[in-house]
Amino acid sequence: MSDYLDRYARKKSLCHRLPGSIKIVTAIVLILTAISVPLERWPILGVLLVVTYLGLSLAGVPLAYLMRRVGLFLPMMFLLTISLPASQGFERGWDLMGTILLRSTVSLMSVLWLVNTLPFDDLLVTLRNWKFPAVLLATLAFMYRFLFVSWDELERLKIARRMRSFGRTSLFFRWKSLSRMIGLLMIRGLTRSERVHGAMCARGWTGEVVFLEDDSDT
Amino acid sequence: MHVQDSVLSPAVCAVAGAISFGAVGYSLHRLRDDLGTRTIPLTGMMAALIFAGQMVNFPLFVLPVSGHLMGGVLAAVVLGPWAGLIAITLVLVVQCFLFADGGMLALGVNILHMGVVGAWGGYALFRVVNSCFRNERTGLLCGTALASWLSVVAASFLFSVEFWFSWSGSDFDFFRIFTLMVLFHSLIGVGDALISVIALKQVVDFRPDLVLACQTTERDPKIAWGRFVTAGCVATLAIAAFVAPFASSRPDGLEAVGERAEFSDMGVAPRLSLLSDYAVPAPVAAWEQSRWWEAVSVSLAGIGGVLAILAIGWGVSRTTKRIDLEAAS
Repeated sequence: MSDYLDRYARKKSLCHRLPGSIKIVTAIVLILTAISVPLERWPILGVLLVVTYLGLSLAGVPLAYLMRRVGLFLPMMFLLTISLPASQGFERGWDLMGTILLRSTVSLMSVLWLVNTLPFDDLLVTLRNWKFPAVLLATLAFMYRFLFVSWDELERLKIARRMRSFGRTSLFFRWKSLSRMIGLLMIRGLTRSERVHGAMCARGWTGEVVFLEDDSDT
Repeated sequence: MHVQDSVLSPAVCAVAGAISFGAVGYSLHRLRDDLGTRTIPLTGMMAALIFAGQMVNFPLFVLPVSGHLMGGVLAAVVLGPWAGLIAITLVLVVQCFLFADGGMLALGVNILHMGVVGAWGGYALFRVVNSCFRNERTGLLCGTALASWLSVVAASFLFSVEFWFSWSGSDFDFFRIFTLMVLFHSLIGVGDALISVIALKQVVDFRPDLVLACQTTERDPKIAWGRFVTAGCVATLAIAAFVAPFASSRPDGLEAVGERAEFSDMGVAPRLSLLSDYAVPAPVAAWEQSRWWEAVSVSLAGIGGVLAILAIGWGVSRTTKRIDLEAAS
């Protein structure tokens, strides 16, 4: 599971050694450039595409992973942007559609680069250095830990459901049982968070967020 | 569901980001006032649960795609609007930074859609509907159903407006994109309402103490018909007011029919929808020509949708008996 979330973020490459804040700023600058390139200068977008691809391969992200992500992303973007030429009776608007598709692919690849070079704990440290509210960061840190727990719980519920139900059932029944599974997941999760809260109180939690000061932005 | 980068212009992203930033800041401020020791672990867990809940794929009829939960209303009903908005924000942050799902600059837009509209707007609507019912459980479920559906539709409406502002320089027909988005999302919203209601029913039946809305709502012993009628009138007027300008900017009857034909050629949702094209056919043929009839019919279709969703919520709360834990034990 830990590997599933940010699979390539803990590798050791040139990109991974950069400080977290520089990685975030780089990604934002890339996206901003992609957005502000005017329509007629579209070759710049091609250059950006190559640059982000180089960055990704430098970070050791395999091509197959990249293809899968972009392959999942493009059909949805296509469905959305096809409405532009469609609203013109398929006569005009193709250039705008193409530009949006190119721009969004560049943006997606920049974010993918960031995701796969920045481990989540580094993100938390960086955000803390940027003076994000402590309550928000503490909740985010909790959420990250609980993600794995609730994911495992969901897997258990799914296995239990598969064991009890065989054969094809009606669509309504599947919706009902899946929704009830989410309800059950919520009950179990919230109950568990109550237990965690009790354990925290027993260890002296007062609601005040305390960070250890020794870790730095590396 | 998530808006990606480059779909909207930087200016629109900036405005949406500023609104979301303010909303998150205000929520944190409100939370700080009554920051118990429970809030942080509970909100973190709820965010993780919504994230996991969104991973459950719901099969759709014959389409190769599948739907999933949105969770804005669910979070707000369980945690209250302030912590609910924070939970949704965190879900979006994790989806952006761990999965590259939803753009980084568009994060503000996504928070606006699912957090501000979903959690805050949904919760406000939930409170109004909830207070109209005498039975606690019925009110809770009907309120959740209606709020989930309407918040999805409202978010899609908001997206079309943002899209229009982003690309207003280039020529395209805003009304068609608007119709397409709202129609499609009114179907998605039904799915979200169903999932939210059944999941919440499960929680309310077994652990009502976990749901904040169960504890805070004061209930009038008498059914508040007056309030119900007032709320209904206000909602009708609001829908009519914000839809009428778009409806009347449409071309005349014949051309509108042509547009509709084009739409159904594209094979998009309209044919699946119950109230196809969101327009009720006029009882008198001559009315089809007049513009105000289109506005009225869109409103009527909207009200029909609202009633249908309310019926879903009511049905879920009625068809299954409440499990009496005390009697069972």
